[in-house]
Amino acid sequence: MAVTQVSSNKCAGGFQKVFEHDSSELKCKMKFAVYLPPKAETDKCPVMYWLSGLTCTEQNIITKAGSQLAAAEHGIIIIAPDTSPRGCNIEGEDESWDFGTGAGFYVNATQDPWKTNYRMYSYVTEELPKLINANFPTDPDRMSISGHSMGGHGALICALKNPGKYKAVSAFAPICNPIQCPWGQKAFSGYLGSDRSTWEAYDATVLAAAYSGPQMDILIDQGRDDQFLSASQLLPDNLIAVCSEKKIPVVFRLQPGYDHSYFFIYSFMNDHIKHHAKYLNA
Amino acid sequence: MITYEQTDFLYHSVTLLMDLYDISGGRLDVIAEEAEHQELSRESSTTMEPSRDRGGRATQDVSTFQRFSVNTNESLRFEPCDTSTPSPTGAEDGLDDDDDDDEDDDVFKEGDTENEINTIRNRLQGKVAEMENFAGHLEEIFLTVEENFGRQEQHLEQHYNDVLQTLSQRYDDRAAGLEEEKKSKLEALYNQLLACGEALDASKEHIEAAQEIYRSQDKRLFLKAVIPAIKRIEEFAKEEMDLSLSTTLEFNPPLVSDLSDVQTMMDSINVVPAPSAPVINPQMPNSATLTSLRVCWSLFSDDTVEYYELYYRPVLEDMPADSTCAPHVSKIKVKETHCTVTDLLPNAQYELWVTATNTTGISPASEKALYMTVPSPPVIKQRDCTSCPEAALIRWESGNTNPVDSYTVELSDMGTDGGITESIVALPTCQCLIQLQTGRRYLISVRAVNIGGPSDRSEVITVSTTGTFFYLLEDTAHPCLSISEDGFTVFYGDEELPISAMASDDNTFTSCVAVLGDLIPVRGRHYWEVEVDDGTEFRIGVAYEDTEKDSYLGATSTSWCMRHILTPSRHKYEFLHRGWSPDLRLTVNPVRIGVALDYERGTLSFFNVDLEQHLHTFHCHFRNYVHPCFSLDNTGELTVHNGIEAPEYAFI
Repeated sequence: MAVTQVSSNKCAGGFQKVFEHDSSELKCKMKFAVYLPPKAETDKCPVMYWLSGLTCTEQNIITKAGSQLAAAEHGIIIIAPDTSPRGCNIEGEDESWDFGTGAGFYVNATQDPWKTNYRMYSYVTEELPKLINANFPTDPDRMSISGHSMGGHGALICALKNPGKYKAVSAFAPICNPIQCPWGQKAFSGYLGSDRSTWEAYDATVLAAAYSGPQMDILIDQGRDDQFLSASQLLPDNLIAVCSEKKIPVVFRLQPGYDHSYFFIYSFMNDHIKHHAKYLNA
Repeated sequence: MITYEQTDFLYHSVTLLMDLYDISGGRLDVIAEEAEHQELSRESSTTMEPSRDRGGRATQDVSTFQRFSVNTNESLRFEPCDTSTPSPTGAEDGLDDDDDDDEDDDVFKEGDTENEINTIRNRLQGKVAEMENFAGHLEEIFLTVEENFGRQEQHLEQHYNDVLQTLSQRYDDRAAGLEEEKKSKLEALYNQLLACGEALDASKEHIEAAQEIYRSQDKRLFLKAVIPAIKRIEEFAKEEMDLSLSTTLEFNPPLVSDLSDVQTMMDSINVVPAPSAPVINPQMPNSATLTSLRVCWSLFSDDTVEYYELYYRPVLEDMPADSTCAPHVSKIKVKETHCTVTDLLPNAQYELWVTATNTTGISPASEKALYMTVPSPPVIKQRDCTSCPEAALIRWESGNTNPVDSYTVELSDMGTDGGITESIVALPTCQCLIQLQTGRRYLISVRAVNIGGPSDRSEVITVSTTGTFFYLLEDTAHPCLSISEDGFTVFYGDEELPISAMASDDNTFTSCVAVLGDLIPVRGRHYWEVEVDDGTEFRIGVAYEDTEKDSYLGATSTSWCMRHILTPSRHKYEFLHRGWSPDLRLTVNPVRIGVALDYERGTLSFFNVDLEQHLHTFHCHFRNYVHPCFSLDNTGELTVHNGIEAPEYAFI
């Protein structure tokens, strides 16, 4: 469970670092970003896991989302893993931007040739938290999860599949109902096979309909001018309809004028970190 | 005290001797007589020695007696009783045994312990102290008497001199009068004497002339001369001589000399002069109550006064002083130089004056002093009081028709052992914003104060600084809104209102069926909750006090609100300010909404309390104080929950 520091920069009174390690789950070297708030120098801090979207690496959030100031203020460690295994030399992994490298979809693949390496779900819910808790001043009982787009989907399913594990969950423009959208259908058929029933285990809308566990409080921001919203890749209405029916608390904010970019994320990052802080620091 | 002890002691001595005598058989009378004699002479035990000798008893009797005398203090325990009935105790003490040693034991058994001696000594020391004290007093009295005597002597001498002076004056006056009278009498007599002499001379001349004529030899000459001579004599004889004394020989001084003024003077040597006007004191603080005044005055030290008469009457401002229907003057007769006048009106001014009287007469009236009774206690307007974790705004009514000088607010922390922990004084108006500690319970009351002092305490109200507490400003309520008796639930019924009910003042909401809450003007953090059911369309939030009452909440720049709209397909929630709302979807309809206002950070947040879910935050710098606002857009009701501690998440 050794980690190697790749970079370290002082940021917002704390440190923005990047580490590398050998993932047993993914059978490859993986990088992840760690923001350590000033409070982490003396205390154990809660952790917010951030799952990025398609094509992203650990770099996007730390360079574009402006999360560090708020994280420093609330004393939250932010962990941002990469979005897929890399350099596994699987045939076709680099063929398209929405499948393979940079598009792990936070599932455990069951299909060849992906099933050996593409186990992002286990990686982010099991291996990575263990690694983080072993190497950083964290409070293992206080973790939360958030993400953007594909990462928003990842955050939602991680939370819905593990009731009580995450104290808070939020998402920016998440893919809410992947089994109903082209991105999800492409990825799930590739990683999980043609049996659609196996897909449902990784679909936030389906999971929400069956959710039973501690009460959640989900914050979702969505840009109204998001091209992928109009392309029906995200389908938040489906999730909202199910949550309304199931009385799963969601505040869904449709932000006029915003698109799918990190400019949008940057604009509302503070609200999300505050949302997480409310539950992480309760 | 001394006399009593001695008497008692003597009584015992007598009893003892009588018993001794019984034993030795005889001569009781002599001893009894002797004892009686000594009792009268109040002699001490030493003088008893002869009587013992006379009793003719042996040495052992003497020693018994002496021991008893040492124990004199014991006699204090016996009730003084008739000396003719010998006390059985005394008898036992003295003589139930002839044996000296046994006697000793008995005596020590009864009053033996050192403790008792100590007690006695202490008692004696106490008495010594008392005596010294008494002597001190006597000394003081002696000095005073001497001083008074000196003054009296001076006074008498003065009087004596006055009387002497008056008498000598009187004597001089009288003597001068008599001298005058004597002089005039003498003058009159002398004149009369002169007249007599002249008449005598004249008649002598006539006689000589007649004789000469008579002796004349010449008859003719005689005849010639005699006729005129006779005529002259006849003429002369006609002039009658007044020979009575022209003045009485008696002096007539006033028959009874009027010495009444001297008498008065003499009398007044023994009579005290009438007192001079007493000096009435100005009103002292805390000397008045709601219906009474304590008035003090003083006299000149030389005056002797038998009693004073205190006069008082209310000063009515709306009545001229010379009015015929001037208020009735009341009068109290007192012996002291102070008096508590009762049965007065509260918060009223009284004019008081006092006269002093003694056997000689009545003094002039003192100056007139103005006193005031204290005001009635104020009445706290419970529904107009509001509070938050840092402060409370207390409002009250004066409770008095006349103005009072100021008000005092008293507060005590219920956590401490009662008592007033803080007073805020000299409040000119009927309200006070009090800084308080968070999370406590306070008892707050108000007093009205005028020159006479503070009134009784008003009714006490309890203020809890757990959360923000306010009532609704009912005068702002739209006519269609009705408010429950407890003041926290508002209803919008569906009955039609008559047009007349729509007439309203500037404060009243006319379009939006809304009401404002009376939030305390403190730029801190405030939190309250609203309970609705999800079939009710409502707007809740905050608004400036002067928000446009004819527009809808959230429609302008002066109000911020959360709005619930029922559409055919879903529940729609808006967070409105200037008519704009973010587009927002809630999957769970809040039925208990938390509203968190933070002036410093300029935020107004809404929460679903049941889920602890954050719904929305307005960011705005509130220039002025805002009031909570509540409105119903269709029929229904909502309930405000107040005084709740803000949950932690409300102000992250």
